[in-house]
Amino acid sequence: MRFLYYDKIDNIEKGKSITGVKTFTLSEEFFRKHFKKQALVPGIIYIEAMAQLLGWLIIYSHNFKLSAVMSLVEDVTVPPELRPGFRAEIHGEIISTSRRDSLGKAWITVDGETVASMNRIIYSHVHKVNSEDLSALFYYYSGIRVNHGA
Amino acid sequence: MRYLLIDHITEYKPGELIKGIKNVAMSEDFLEFHFPKNPIMPGVMLLEALTQLTGWLEAASTDFKNWFLISNVGKSAFYGFAFPGDQVELEVEFVSEGDQNKKVYRGTGFVKGKKKISAEFEGEIILLEDIEDVEEQKKFFKVLTRELR
Repeated sequence: MRFLYYDKIDNIEKGKSITGVKTFTLSEEFFRKHFKKQALVPGIIYIEAMAQLLGWLIIYSHNFKLSAVMSLVEDVTVPPELRPGFRAEIHGEIISTSRRDSLGKAWITVDGETVASMNRIIYSHVHKVNSEDLSALFYYYSGIRVNHGA
Repeated sequence: MRYLLIDHITEYKPGELIKGIKNVAMSEDFLEFHFPKNPIMPGVMLLEALTQLTGWLEAASTDFKNWFLISNVGKSAFYGFAFPGDQVELEVEFVSEGDQNKKVYRGTGFVKGKKKISAEFEGEIILLEDIEDVEEQKKFFKVLTRELR
């Protein structure tokens, strides 16, 4: 299993917002145990999807000079009984960011309808990073072409 | 990956609380990506461990009639990190009845006395027979509580 809960990034605006896509397929490993008679997406996967995408926005906004690790989530709603076969749009926004930490919010829509939301997420920043490695991962994971002019 | 985030159930009081253990192994698939060259147990996987433990408490409290699916997180804080080789001691306790067939639980996870997660969360109570083979779940519960030994 690859612990990646987005497939691509569609839009990213430094210091502001990010939008990405995650398709939920029956081939995900976790469906082998979640559950035997019904395939239901585990609720925490939506939290991870929102956290991963917004995390990249923070890293990108700080020019890959730091990494962001989730330290608190509040006021979260996830759909407990969705089966795979849908395309989720993940949206994230930075509310504030400093050298030390970031605050943001995120939500997920399916066919235009909001199915999950996280009204408050705080990230702690980690400064011991290899910027080149982080940047290379970002462009590979996001599907965004490297634009040296940006 | 086997999506089973509880290795051992050490204690439970029906309708009240349950305690269990999650061992973090370097062989976990998610550690390859979380994070590259820097394996740390993802916070949401600790939250999933608490959710699964709550499922077992619901099952054990209702003769395996019910299970629990998380739907809301009031607040969850992640402190420090759990690393490969750590043993996370998890505990979940019942807090209150929620809206419409929902229940609120509170959980914590500690490694060697240091808190790694605290969470207050709500979820739907669903029929176990709708999602799992009940007899198999009963047997697996005995594996987790080591009643088969």
